[in-house]
Amino acid sequence: MLCPLLAFLVQALLGKKSISGNIALVAILASTLISLFGVFLPIWNETTILQKWAWFTIGQHTLHVGILINNLTALMQLIVCIIALPVHIYSRAYMKGDSGIHRYWMYLSLFCFAMLGLTVSLNLLQLYIFWELVGFASYLLIGFWFTKETAAQANKKAFLINRIGDIGFLIGIALVYANCGTLDLSTLFGKTSVLSSMDKNMSWVTFAGLAFFLGAMAKSAQFPLHVWLPDAMEGPTAVSSLIHAATMVAAGVFLLCTVFPLFNETVLFVITIIGTLTALSAAIFALGQYDIKKVLAFSTISQLGFMMVGVGIGAWNAAMFHLTTHAFFKCLLFLSAGAVIHEMAHLKAKAQLTIDPQDLRHMGGLRHFMPKTFVCMVIASLSLAGFPLTSGYLSKDSIVITAYEWASHLGTAYMLIPVLLIIVSLLTAFYIGRLIFKTFFGSFKYRSLTGAGISFHEAPKAMLIPMIFLAAGSLFPFFGISLTDYHSAWIMHTLETESSYPTLAQAHLFIPALLTGGAILAWLIGWNWYVKQKYPLSENNVWVHFAHKQSYINEFNERVFVNGTIGLSRILYTFDRYVVDGLTKFFSWFVRQLSVVVYWFDKHIVDGLVNLVANATYYIGHLVRHVQNGQLQTYLGFALTIVVLGILYLIIK
Amino acid sequence: MITLTHFLVVSACIFCIGLYAVLAKRSAIMILVGIELMINAAILNFVAFGKYDKLNYGGQVFALFAIVLAAAAVAVGLAIILNVYRNFKTINPENIHELKD
Repeated sequence: MLCPLLAFLVQALLGKKSISGNIALVAILASTLISLFGVFLPIWNETTILQKWAWFTIGQHTLHVGILINNLTALMQLIVCIIALPVHIYSRAYMKGDSGIHRYWMYLSLFCFAMLGLTVSLNLLQLYIFWELVGFASYLLIGFWFTKETAAQANKKAFLINRIGDIGFLIGIALVYANCGTLDLSTLFGKTSVLSSMDKNMSWVTFAGLAFFLGAMAKSAQFPLHVWLPDAMEGPTAVSSLIHAATMVAAGVFLLCTVFPLFNETVLFVITIIGTLTALSAAIFALGQYDIKKVLAFSTISQLGFMMVGVGIGAWNAAMFHLTTHAFFKCLLFLSAGAVIHEMAHLKAKAQLTIDPQDLRHMGGLRHFMPKTFVCMVIASLSLAGFPLTSGYLSKDSIVITAYEWASHLGTAYMLIPVLLIIVSLLTAFYIGRLIFKTFFGSFKYRSLTGAGISFHEAPKAMLIPMIFLAAGSLFPFFGISLTDYHSAWIMHTLETESSYPTLAQAHLFIPALLTGGAILAWLIGWNWYVKQKYPLSENNVWVHFAHKQSYINEFNERVFVNGTIGLSRILYTFDRYVVDGLTKFFSWFVRQLSVVVYWFDKHIVDGLVNLVANATYYIGHLVRHVQNGQLQTYLGFALTIVVLGILYLIIK
Repeated sequence: MITLTHFLVVSACIFCIGLYAVLAKRSAIMILVGIELMINAAILNFVAFGKYDKLNYGGQVFALFAIVLAAAAVAVGLAIILNVYRNFKTINPENIHELKD
């Protein structure tokens, strides 16, 4: 865990000299090896390791920092490392030649450090610190190309929206501390937990649960706080893949899994509803996007919705399982998309086209040029769609089936949630099919250019190797021997949760069948629409617009919150300007007038008196100095005059 | 007959002439002469009032004293005028204003 921090510091010191990223690569490789052999293998299925040091003391309470490694954190740490490693390798090829590359490696190392720190934090406050660090590092990475206006806007947006969630998290921490007196995760949620002796239906528990969920909502891009994630695609593609596939957005789900024992039924139900809503809305929005990365972004949001539902229905092990598999295939999707974008950008630069290299409408037929990328992307897409033989099949079905069991246990009204999830799954199959068809099938618009000496070829090896590795990870054997039974997957096996509802055998049969059949149907429709050019909807269709514009949530936010804030600040400005400034100005005016009066008094009365004395003396002296003219006879004349006056005085008296 | 009053009037006239000479003349010698006139007016008064001292003739004695003193004073005054002339190359008091502030 400390390796990336070291790498970050070393690279920060080296500055521009460290452009190769070798340091970051070595650091993350070391972290991966340590977390796999040193942490994951010994810890998995064994007892929890706990190491703590006193941090500081407030009054009677001592806060500890430390490392908590149990099954959950070890798994999470491993995922982060294993996903970060291919991304690092991939970045070496993808970011080659970028002028800010030294910054890139620095931020990447910082991000990995924060993420690893987040996973093993013992204390909620420590978790919060790393949570913030992750947010900050992602801010830096999203705005990596900060000279681009949209990137600067996007990272600001991501930062601001994450602040909303952080407030929730902080409130949650404060509530837990106020009521339990400790933030130590092991004491809070361990075997002899503080919470188990408490009544879970108290209002503060609900409130704290909702506050934590708010934090997770912002970080994991849940509706309606998801708006930052599609914009965050402004960062380099490798970053999008790392942040949005594996780590940062998963942090929200990880948090919910960590504090799971805190949630009571109300909170869980809210989480389920929000998760479903997110999954559904994001899937619909994904249908209308033309930017290849934005499709993937909405797909991520949608899958995060799935995970939230998993947490909400109590099957947080299924959520973690889906998180793991999703990390692999979503990372792969992003990396493949990155490879495509990379080539498109090259083509654009060489042929001097003015196209957006990320726009799906300009692609098509690329499977002839990039067959390996095509295969990788297809595997990832199948996994995303939940096709049998892939990892996504196991994890997604585990959530849908558990949701079905949960709903049938609770009542008919709750059936809406699994039904919606199934619809979302089908939509997922459709939009990812659309992505594949539009990118790799059909005819390539710029085919004529490739004949004219401009090569359009497969991605370089450094990009392909990570992709092939991830593709292998997207297949089922990585997670379990059984093709259909997700219960036998090792992750599910270890992170066993007690379910309060009976297992329904028939659900295990018909739901996967329904999903697979529906997915194939969706692909057939997609094939017809996109490859055979029989697109039934016009581009100006209201629904297409609705989906493309993300149901105008951004516009709504703009109008309500941004304009509201601007209006409020304008009112405050006016208030400030006229009332506060007015008062200040009045005071200053008053003081100025007062000082004028005082000045006048000073000048005319005080100075006047002094000057009067001085002037009087001066004039008298002036008068008298005529007497002292040095003329002897005048002196005598004066003497005579005085004598005569004296005599006259004597006579008159 | 000639009374005391006549003496005093003459004396006053001489005094005034002397006074005028002291205040108005443009030569230090003439001022010295004016001073002499004023001393002589005073001496005349001594002699005139001496008629009231028939025993000791104090008036006459004092007049003799004053004449001697005046002669000495004139000698001193002339010496001063000579020195002033040496310094300033003039004996016009208007041009000698070292005493000016």
